[in-house]
Amino acid sequence: MVGLSVGEKHFIQGGIAQDLRSDGRKRLTYRPISVETGVLAQANGSARVKLGGTDVIASVKAELGRPNHLYPDKGKVSIYVDCSPTAAPMFEGRGGEELSAELSAALQRCLLGGRSGAGAGINLSALIVVEGKMCWDLYIDGLVVSSDGNLLDALGAAIKAALSNTGIPKVNVAVGASADEEPEVDISDEEFLQFDTSGVPVIVTLTKVGRHYIADATLEEESQMSSALSVSVDRHGHICGMMKRGGAGLDPSVILDMISVSKHVSDQLIAKLDSEISAAEVDEAES
Amino acid sequence: MEFVSPEGLRLDGRRPMEMRQIRGEVGAVSKADGSAIFEMGNTKVIAAVYGPREVQNRGQQMSDQALVRCEYSMANFSTGDRMRKPKGDRRSIEISLVIRQTMEACIMTHLMPRSQIDIFVQVLQADGGTRSACINAATLALADAGIPMRDLVTSCSAGYLNSTPLLDLNYIEDSAGGPDVTVGILSKLDKVTLLQMDAKLPMDIFENVMQLAVEGCKAIANYIREVLLENTKQLEHRRGI
Amino acid sequence: MLQSKSFVRKTKQGKVLKVVREHYLRDDIYCGASICKVCDTKVARLSSSASTILVLDTNVVLNQIDLLENPAIDDVVVLSVVLDEVKNKNLSVYNRLRALCSNTLRKFFVFSNEHHKDTYVKAMVGESPNDRNDRAIRVATNWYQRHLGGGTRVLLITNDKENKRKATDEGIFAETVETYVKSLGQPNLLDLVVHPTSEDVGMEDVEDLRPSKRKVIYIEHKPMSEITAGLHRGIYHQGKLRVNRYNPFEAYVGSESIGDEIIIQGRGNMNRAFDGDVVAVELLPKEQWHEGKSLSIADDEDEEEEDVHLVPNSADDAPRNRDTIQDSSSTVNPVSCRPSGRVVGIIKRNWQSYCGSLEPMPMPAGNGGIAHALFVSKDRRIPKIRIQTRQLGNLLDKRIIVTVDSWDCLSRYPSGHYVRTIGEIGDRDTETKVVLIENDINSRPFSTQVLACLPPLPWSVSTEDLMNPNRQDLRQLRVFSVDPPGCRDIDDALHCTALPDGNFEVGVHIADVTNFVHSGTPLDDEASQRGTSVYLVERRIDMLPKPLTEDICSLRSDVERLAFSVIWVMTPEAEIISTRYTKSVIKSSAVMSYVEAQARMDDSRLMDPLTTDLRNLNTLAKIMRQRRIDRGALTLASAEVKFQIDTETHDPLDIGMYQIREANQMIEEFMLAANVSVAEKILKHFSMCSLLRRHPSPTKEMLEPLLRTAAAIGLDLDVSSSKALADSLDRAVGDDPYFNKLIRILATRCMPQAVYFCSGDLTPPEFHHYGLASPLYTHFTSPIRRYADVIVHRLLAAALGIYKLPTIFQDRPQLTSIADNLNYRHRNAQMASWASVELHTLIFFRKRPTDTEARIVKIRANGFIVFVPKYGIEGPVYLTPKGEKGGDWVVDEEHQKVKKMDGSISYSVLQMVQIHMEVVEPQPNRPKLQLTLM
Repeated sequence: MVGLSVGEKHFIQGGIAQDLRSDGRKRLTYRPISVETGVLAQANGSARVKLGGTDVIASVKAELGRPNHLYPDKGKVSIYVDCSPTAAPMFEGRGGEELSAELSAALQRCLLGGRSGAGAGINLSALIVVEGKMCWDLYIDGLVVSSDGNLLDALGAAIKAALSNTGIPKVNVAVGASADEEPEVDISDEEFLQFDTSGVPVIVTLTKVGRHYIADATLEEESQMSSALSVSVDRHGHICGMMKRGGAGLDPSVILDMISVSKHVSDQLIAKLDSEISAAEVDEAES
Repeated sequence: MEFVSPEGLRLDGRRPMEMRQIRGEVGAVSKADGSAIFEMGNTKVIAAVYGPREVQNRGQQMSDQALVRCEYSMANFSTGDRMRKPKGDRRSIEISLVIRQTMEACIMTHLMPRSQIDIFVQVLQADGGTRSACINAATLALADAGIPMRDLVTSCSAGYLNSTPLLDLNYIEDSAGGPDVTVGILSKLDKVTLLQMDAKLPMDIFENVMQLAVEGCKAIANYIREVLLENTKQLEHRRGI
Repeated sequence: MLQSKSFVRKTKQGKVLKVVREHYLRDDIYCGASICKVCDTKVARLSSSASTILVLDTNVVLNQIDLLENPAIDDVVVLSVVLDEVKNKNLSVYNRLRALCSNTLRKFFVFSNEHHKDTYVKAMVGESPNDRNDRAIRVATNWYQRHLGGGTRVLLITNDKENKRKATDEGIFAETVETYVKSLGQPNLLDLVVHPTSEDVGMEDVEDLRPSKRKVIYIEHKPMSEITAGLHRGIYHQGKLRVNRYNPFEAYVGSESIGDEIIIQGRGNMNRAFDGDVVAVELLPKEQWHEGKSLSIADDEDEEEEDVHLVPNSADDAPRNRDTIQDSSSTVNPVSCRPSGRVVGIIKRNWQSYCGSLEPMPMPAGNGGIAHALFVSKDRRIPKIRIQTRQLGNLLDKRIIVTVDSWDCLSRYPSGHYVRTIGEIGDRDTETKVVLIENDINSRPFSTQVLACLPPLPWSVSTEDLMNPNRQDLRQLRVFSVDPPGCRDIDDALHCTALPDGNFEVGVHIADVTNFVHSGTPLDDEASQRGTSVYLVERRIDMLPKPLTEDICSLRSDVERLAFSVIWVMTPEAEIISTRYTKSVIKSSAVMSYVEAQARMDDSRLMDPLTTDLRNLNTLAKIMRQRRIDRGALTLASAEVKFQIDTETHDPLDIGMYQIREANQMIEEFMLAANVSVAEKILKHFSMCSLLRRHPSPTKEMLEPLLRTAAAIGLDLDVSSSKALADSLDRAVGDDPYFNKLIRILATRCMPQAVYFCSGDLTPPEFHHYGLASPLYTHFTSPIRRYADVIVHRLLAAALGIYKLPTIFQDRPQLTSIADNLNYRHRNAQMASWASVELHTLIFFRKRPTDTEARIVKIRANGFIVFVPKYGIEGPVYLTPKGEKGGDWVVDEEHQKVKKMDGSISYSVLQMVQIHMEVVEPQPNRPKLQLTLM
């Protein structure tokens, strides 16, 4: 982990208290964010998001599968995150597993909603090919290439960008197949089903350091946190998911306060992200 | 199957002696001491170097030279068919070992006793020749980290299909089941540090195929030198020298 | 070098994969015109004088390949996009097009437009692959026009109306095939043009000029999607359709899903499928099984009659046994369990070119010289084909080649087009050519590349050969050869030396062909393709060029030759004590014919060393033969005939059964032994890639006709094993001296064919050779005329460590495909030999009506099939005139008898009858041999 001297710790905490962080940001300002889409040709959709020194890649792969019999009208989405050792030597071997699992769970909670798929940021019904028989399974893989704090927000942004970059092949189902058989399908070579990603939320993590909370913490700042709250918020300002990390307890009123602040921050983040994504798409189309 | 048309073009339009488009970029991972991205066609890998630094596991410390460690991993999405494999499967371990041995041979480890150098390579996309791409990326990353090296190690593969030696096999050509010769060389010293081959090949043909791979390595070495030179110029520029 | 990426998606095992491939675009792809100033002209193929350069659309290549092969069409640019499309749609057309492109006499140039930076086009959104390819063709054509400038006209040939219109809109010269060919002013070329079907060009339907007569004759084929779904659900069954060689109205589809053959009765159920097509079949309801005849739409003009033919030599050639007499009397016959079906769709066509002639017809009046004629293939399995011609008068008495183009459900016959003329019907040269073409035999002279691989002539054994430590000098041995008279390709010789301890050293020396034919050379490739030499009555088509076949490799007498030897030490009881294999140098001291060798052995006055060697060998051979028979080897009989040919006219002078002597059997015995020894050796060293020969056991079904005949005459045959069969054949002796031979001949035709295979493809129990009762067998002894032996020589040399094994042996699929090709070539060579004998039989009897004795081998409703031992032929004898069914004859199937109603006369199987043989011409130019009862 980050080894910091007492002086450094004080410097960080003091900066936050005075709303002037070590890198010159205010408490609720994000680092510069850059988005690159279509970075992985083999995936159905992909994006690379850099948030300061944090660098993550997300890929979306679609496979044909069978819907869960409890929810025959919904497709399936799974999210896995992997922390590459390139990001930090501590992720070497199985070292990154714990963090990977934590991030995967957090992302699933923030983006997918409950088991039934209700409240998911992604419209799972759009993934159905033949109700009860065939659907698209989306495999979302995140890879942390470089880690400098606030991985969750970066991954959330990368997944959002990757989903908007995703094209799903159109499927023509042969007619006439009777009820108890596997449907015969013909996968089209070119027609893509574009995703509506307007409902996909962004994740805003507010990290509490000392008495204040900050957005987009760096690795050094995270080492000083007492607790953190991640809130996923969609375009309409609705909260889609939430989770609190860190051991120290929070006063419920502070939590409500943090939620409203994160809603506010999310507006800016969504706007920024949207413009970055569309710029990236233009870039990709041109190259 | 026909891998080289009578017109002398491979499936992707290359001629037998041509390499795929290569691209190298230094400094992809900001937190690392040295890092690089290296692409050979659709094969894309990231390498990050941490060190020289204190040895983590005291028992491994060596008083006369640096400890070099390497880990190779493939991203879940790196292949066409998505896979979810546990880390540290046999293939990864073997490739890690190959990369470590190859890089160790060129790092001047005796200058950094009691220290440790970690090389991490991550495959983002695999389309044949990942071993070679990893070694090339690692070389760039080590140079970026400023670690003293005897020479640049570069690697390239060559194969033999339709009775023709082919440079730098892509995935389709690699899966044809023909021989695949991967060579790593120290370009200036003109020494072979890595040589692997699967499948059978008569001696005389092997010579040609290996020679072709060596030529490929040299071309990559020239390219890597250019990338490093360009990077140094940029640094110069930024520092206003 | 620019780069761009093409995105392809693919499904595999139902999984959807996004496949990404790189696609490099280049600036070093040249146009191939020798007049071009910009491009590198080293590879140029298009002539400098060409005023017009043709660019072909895919549909033109697919449909008009016969036209393209005509030298009148030249200066053609073949785009890689077209090549790829053709390759996907029809591999045989692709191979023909590739052959044209590599033929140095033709000016076909392949332009890799897909990798050229200026002609590559990316699919636009919503554009189908087809439209994209059409656009690519137009872009490339346009590029050529601009590239070459106005001095040359670049003409797009397409029959696709839409593509032509777009091309014209874009300012590209474009024409249909027809208009282009017409502009060449060679009316005969027009016969080669395939007439486009109505979808492509809005021409009026030219196929049948009497629209009122058009009615649906066949059931519409199901669309592909329905077929796939049906196959998936098990309603339809997929398999290759094989038409009965002797009854073209009956076909079989081997279906894996049913695990049995499905019988397809009648052309209606065959629903336009050709022999070799991969079809989808639907089973008929059980009650319709095996009463198919009534369903058939066999019309009177198609009435089939059997021809006189050679006696078949294995079950694969023999007519199917069932239902020959069923339609007359077998109402009591219980419903057979063999499933019947009908074709619902064709998955893959196997249309080829066919040899035959036009059905005689009067010259039509008027009609601008265009006539519609029906083509009758020599291959009876092929239906008649409707063609259009402008040269009817010229073609009526010719053998011609015709290709099939289409068959819609409104026409009784498929339509096709004339390809070329072979020659006059009945002419021996023409008919021989037909035999060669029909059996896909390459009789072209060897190319210069192949001949360049030959050693310089005159060749003789060099000191290097003698110094070679791997080559033993055996010139001091008394080696000799025994072959048929006039044999010039001598590939085997023997020696036999009595050792002081009473044992014998016996050597089999085989021509060392692989010393001259090296793996991977053009010579080797050619030999591998030809597979075997073909022996026709009046000529031989060699597998290897003549200098090798008749001189350098041939083990002639009194010259030193290289050999590959198998040498045994044997006890006087013919037990092998030791075996060794070596390359050697020999000098044959005598070349004998079988007759000569036999005469020497029989002449008790002769005591010279050579004769003694022969006698010793013969003694050993007899013991070996007996031991083999005791093990269960079958002594089968075939009715081989021998012609005596007039050296001037090449017409047959005499004809007779080939006589087998002890000398033949002696040579055969040692060749068998050598083959077995070699098979053991190579399999020991290369268990996965040896080329062996196996002979599968006959199935119950194959033996059925033999058992039926045997039962009818009260003979009890035990077919449980080869040993049992051999023993019961030995016991089958009647009062008639010819009886046993006849039964053996009948047994022979029930046997399956022996085949080559790669040892890695099967398990050891399957290696068994039934006929020879040997667990292992291969071919080693005739490398001059069989390619299998060449491969085995290489294997043996590698097993001895003399040479490295060529790389090809590491490639098992390739080895399997070589074995398959050898089997195919072997069989074709055999068929060609028979056809040649049949042809000469016909020529022989043309001037010589003959009376002879014959044996009844099968009973028919209106007669019987007889076998004529003297001439080795078989044919029908009719008791009632054709057309009158049955008459007053009654068939007794159980006893294989046909009786007159009043019981006055009866004929039963195996009975001897006197017949009259005569060549008749029921139709002009269609001579045939007729057998009548005397």
